[in-house]
Amino acid sequence: MALKARVYIRRAEREDLDTVVSWREDPAFIRFLYGDRTRSPKQIREQIVGMLGRTAGHTMPNGIFLVVDSEKSGPIGLLSIVNIGWRNRSCNIDTYVVEKVRNSFLAAISFYRVLEYCFQELGMHRVNLFVYAFNARSWRVIERSGAKRELLLREHVARDGEVYDMYGYGLLRADWEWLREDFKSHFKGIDLLSMVAQRKQAAAVPEAAP
Amino acid sequence: MIVGDHAVIRAADLDDSPLLHRLYDVSKPRSFLLGPSREVLIPTRDELQEVLSRKDLLSGVFFVVEDKQGELRGCCSLRGVTSSAFFSEMAVALVDEADYATPLADEVMDFIRYGGFHERKLRKLMGHCLDREARYREFLVRHGFVSNGVQREMVYALGRYFDLESLSLFRDAADDALQEEAG
Repeated sequence: MALKARVYIRRAEREDLDTVVSWREDPAFIRFLYGDRTRSPKQIREQIVGMLGRTAGHTMPNGIFLVVDSEKSGPIGLLSIVNIGWRNRSCNIDTYVVEKVRNSFLAAISFYRVLEYCFQELGMHRVNLFVYAFNARSWRVIERSGAKRELLLREHVARDGEVYDMYGYGLLRADWEWLREDFKSHFKGIDLLSMVAQRKQAAAVPEAAP
Repeated sequence: MIVGDHAVIRAADLDDSPLLHRLYDVSKPRSFLLGPSREVLIPTRDELQEVLSRKDLLSGVFFVVEDKQGELRGCCSLRGVTSSAFFSEMAVALVDEADYATPLADEVMDFIRYGGFHERKLRKLMGHCLDREARYREFLVRHGFVSNGVQREMVYALGRYFDLESLSLFRDAADDALQEEAG
């Protein structure tokens, strides 16, 4: 099946700051990614500025932030590759997509592509994903990717006065290779190279006259 | 300084760096050596001395363990306290891994449990062990730690990947175990 959805991932830039900051209005953004309620909006903004800031070219960053762009709607999400261990060749991924596409295939495509970025571009051996046990929507997507639930961390995170369990998932390169073959056979054009080609093609098409 | 029947536990000091450096043995990867990204960190002697000179960083989190003859046998720590969820990571690193089965190690665990659950009022202590640390794992399980699961091929050292197991001890379970011990 040829992929019709036009969704791209790209490195986050300083120009994305206002968009990412505006996502703070979504309770899910704060609840899932920035749950420490003692932090002020200014502190969260400063953290986001730090995330989108430049990394010197000669250093190995321990975090890379990608924006999900939809051809129709513009930026619709943020993919954070953090805790990168260059010796272990492992990293953690945190994902956020705006509410209107959270249940759509766009979220799954973005997730697939960030995995491809980690394994094929960064050369990772393992990707870690931590998700609240109550966030079934997220962990179902993760499980469909072939990631194994390796950890059950009981009473591990506090949100809104409650303590919740957390699941830890791991996806190894071998798991990823299996997923990659499966997805490529089902969804033509899902891979990153095809995405780049689609984006170039879209940029080359002149806008229709009003 | 805590003086027990078998162990003396005290805050780590700059003078401890030569002996502590024995724990940072590249040929024996340990969970104790893992940094925030779960990578094995082997500091140089200078780096270790620098860390040990930072009282503000180490106060209340990093301790050395001596036997009653004054010989340094290892260290222990309560680090990365997550105050919002009331838990912390703990580690006990003994130079001789056979010591994990001794009363000296039991006293270190008593100290860690007391510091975590009663002084800091934590709900949970977490420990980690690599798949090569069988004696350390036995020690944790003997003291009531329960496995949270194993992260496959998580740590790279000595040309291969090691699995990393995570274990937890909750305050209620620790108190129950202590009551049982007391009969």
